[in-house]
Amino acid sequence: MSNSQNASLSLLKAPRFELPAWWLVLRRELADLWISGKGLNLLLIYSVLLGIIAYAYSFSPEHPPEAVYEMLKNSMAFSMFMGLSIAADSLSGERERATLESLLLTPVDRRHVIIGKFLTALSIWPAAYILSIPHLYMLAQGHQVLGLALLWSALTGTVLVIGYIGVGMLSSFFSGTNKVSYFVSLAIYALLLVPAELPGDAVDVEGGIVQWINPMSAVNHFLSQHLVNYRPAAEYWTWLISSLVLAIVTLSLLGYAGANLHLEAGSPGSTLWMKLRRAIGLAMILAWMVTSLTPSPVYAFQVDQAQVEDLNISIDIESRLVKMGDTVEFETNVTNNGQQNSPPLIVAMNLTDLHAPGNVPDVEDWASQQTQSIDSLAAGKSVNLGWTINSIMEGDYMVSMVLIPEPTGAGTTSHPLASSGLHLTVAPFVSLKPEGVLSIAIGEPALLLVITYSVHRRRRQQIDVGGSS
Amino acid sequence: MIQNSDFTRSGSRTEILVAEGLHKSYGPRKALQGLTFSLKAGHILGFLGPNGAGKTTSIRILTTMLEPEAGHFVIDGIGSEYPEQIRHRIGVLPENLGFPQQMTGLEYLTYFGELYGRPTAAARAYALGLLENVGMQQRAKSLIASYSHGMRQRLGVARALVNDPIVVFLDEPTLGLDLRGRQELLELIQRIARERNTAVVLCSHLLSEIEGICDDVIILNLGYVVAKGPVAEVIGRVQQNVVLRNVLLIQVPAEAVTRARQALEAMPHIISVTPSNGLADHMRLELMGAPNGDSANEQLNNRILSALIRAKIPILRFEVEGGRLQDVFLHLTEDVIR
Repeated sequence: MSNSQNASLSLLKAPRFELPAWWLVLRRELADLWISGKGLNLLLIYSVLLGIIAYAYSFSPEHPPEAVYEMLKNSMAFSMFMGLSIAADSLSGERERATLESLLLTPVDRRHVIIGKFLTALSIWPAAYILSIPHLYMLAQGHQVLGLALLWSALTGTVLVIGYIGVGMLSSFFSGTNKVSYFVSLAIYALLLVPAELPGDAVDVEGGIVQWINPMSAVNHFLSQHLVNYRPAAEYWTWLISSLVLAIVTLSLLGYAGANLHLEAGSPGSTLWMKLRRAIGLAMILAWMVTSLTPSPVYAFQVDQAQVEDLNISIDIESRLVKMGDTVEFETNVTNNGQQNSPPLIVAMNLTDLHAPGNVPDVEDWASQQTQSIDSLAAGKSVNLGWTINSIMEGDYMVSMVLIPEPTGAGTTSHPLASSGLHLTVAPFVSLKPEGVLSIAIGEPALLLVITYSVHRRRRQQIDVGGSS
Repeated sequence: MIQNSDFTRSGSRTEILVAEGLHKSYGPRKALQGLTFSLKAGHILGFLGPNGAGKTTSIRILTTMLEPEAGHFVIDGIGSEYPEQIRHRIGVLPENLGFPQQMTGLEYLTYFGELYGRPTAAARAYALGLLENVGMQQRAKSLIASYSHGMRQRLGVARALVNDPIVVFLDEPTLGLDLRGRQELLELIQRIARERNTAVVLCSHLLSEIEGICDDVIILNLGYVVAKGPVAEVIGRVQQNVVLRNVLLIQVPAEAVTRARQALEAMPHIISVTPSNGLADHMRLELMGAPNGDSANEQLNNRILSALIRAKIPILRFEVEGGRLQDVFLHLTEDVIR
């Protein structure tokens, strides 16, 4: 019988902790993050950036939901960055500073170390969320979108930040140095952020699959549809799947890898990290190829002009003067003057900025419904279609409706018809005062400065401030 | 002084650490090949070897930071297949230990005490005791960032003792310390072993440290154990196995060199008296007779010393060349050093 087998069972019991080990690690890490100043410094920068953005929006009058959405998008992007950068330092930073070995030499379960560090990185999110509320409140100007924005940004932001922190910690787990960990994390962040900041059509293939796969752009799409275009959340819930998948996958990988946390990066003696790095590189190249090579097939169509002269489309309003934030409702009338039933028809909305022809407004932002379909219009019949436009931007616009007969098949085309125009003049929304925004833009960072100073002062009272011996 | 009473210790066992046939390779390079040894409670074991000999690999395996490919070790009756339990019974001061700069020494030790399962108040009280033990009580509430290198090393030793370990591993603890700091730390290590009855494994490049405070020594070379046992025994064994030149090194005051040379050259069995290392007051005596260690030789050494004393020449230093651990180390590892 070996010596180990001779050991009494009482000696082999796991050490009993007064407090859970993950809580001890979390408490220590939170003190490091928030008392040493790194967390507060990050929040200070974040708060200043939010203030600048909010102040800029106060001069650029937008429909409140649009302004709230843009602010949310930016605050979430900054929050993800902060969470990712804290997570990217969590393990590789300790390796680099030679403090990890001391922690691993304790009998604490490695997973508890991971949990403590994960929750520490996560702690930046509620703080960032709270700091964004005054800015959102100012930009909402009493619009009901504020409640929805706070609810959905809390839910989607939490899921997203869990995924991003998971990515950062995995990168830190597999990296021997902070340089490598930050590089990998920020490369992934940029890869996900850039497409999210571009218009969907610029980076996507048909069906928006790239936008759907990218957790950040998918969440942005969901929020824009729900908050700006008033689409029901149930209609777009599938756009939240990718962020949920990212959170679940990274948490699972962390749980699996965390049990094998070692002094050396990754798993000693395995080539897993080498394979993972190769896979990440390959994924980045593939993602770039997918996002940049939008298919643009060119075919020679045969024009099918049958029945074009029998169809007619009209609009019931000629012009309208509205304020930003107002909605405009109108109807189009489609008539089939011919002797035969029409083919299936599509009616599409077009919007042109009359004073900035090069600037094409995104109809998706202005109307929740940009197209409507008619299966077939019987001879001599007509149909009315209702439309709603949200006046989200000051300016002078022409709305025109286009009737498109569906081509009879591949290799054929049809002749779309345009209606007369609806001249829409949108006056600026005047209730937002830059001074009000400015008070928050300056007040919030100032308050954070006071908190930072107080924390440092209290800390200095707790310790003996001695020079080097 | 804090006594090791807080944790269960199987004090009846004499062999507190037993390692058998530990092997480790990094790819094709064999870092450790069959390390076998044992260590008693209260004893200090020195690990010696040139760079790449396998010292750090040995320490990392024994502290559960690395898994051996083959072999097994037992600490206080706990086998290496229970790393978490072993971590509860060992204390480690790794080489190049980093510290969180924004914590105080007291907070640092309290935190680690809690991680070893102590309640916060008890961990804090124990940390204060440890800081007193290592002479740091005055700086307990200072930020670690303000500590000198020597203070950090002492804090590192305190950290290694925070769980009242049965075996303490110290990897190059005196690296970068000045003479006084080194001396104080070595005395602290001896106190740990004697007063707490803790076994200590000490890795050091400074052979004088090993020779001065270790009971046993293991010399590693290319992953192999080339010598092990009590320090004096290892030196004697090598001297017996190897024919070393019969040479004495004697230092006298500069003004007495001429008289000393005259007295020595008049004696039989002395082949030559030459300056050692170019220093006039250091004399190198080449003798006739049997190799060192032989009793006749020892009598000759005594006669030489008597002759100098009779001539009223103060003897500042007397040394048998080849009789130090350094000579044994250089001989056993000469292939690598060359």
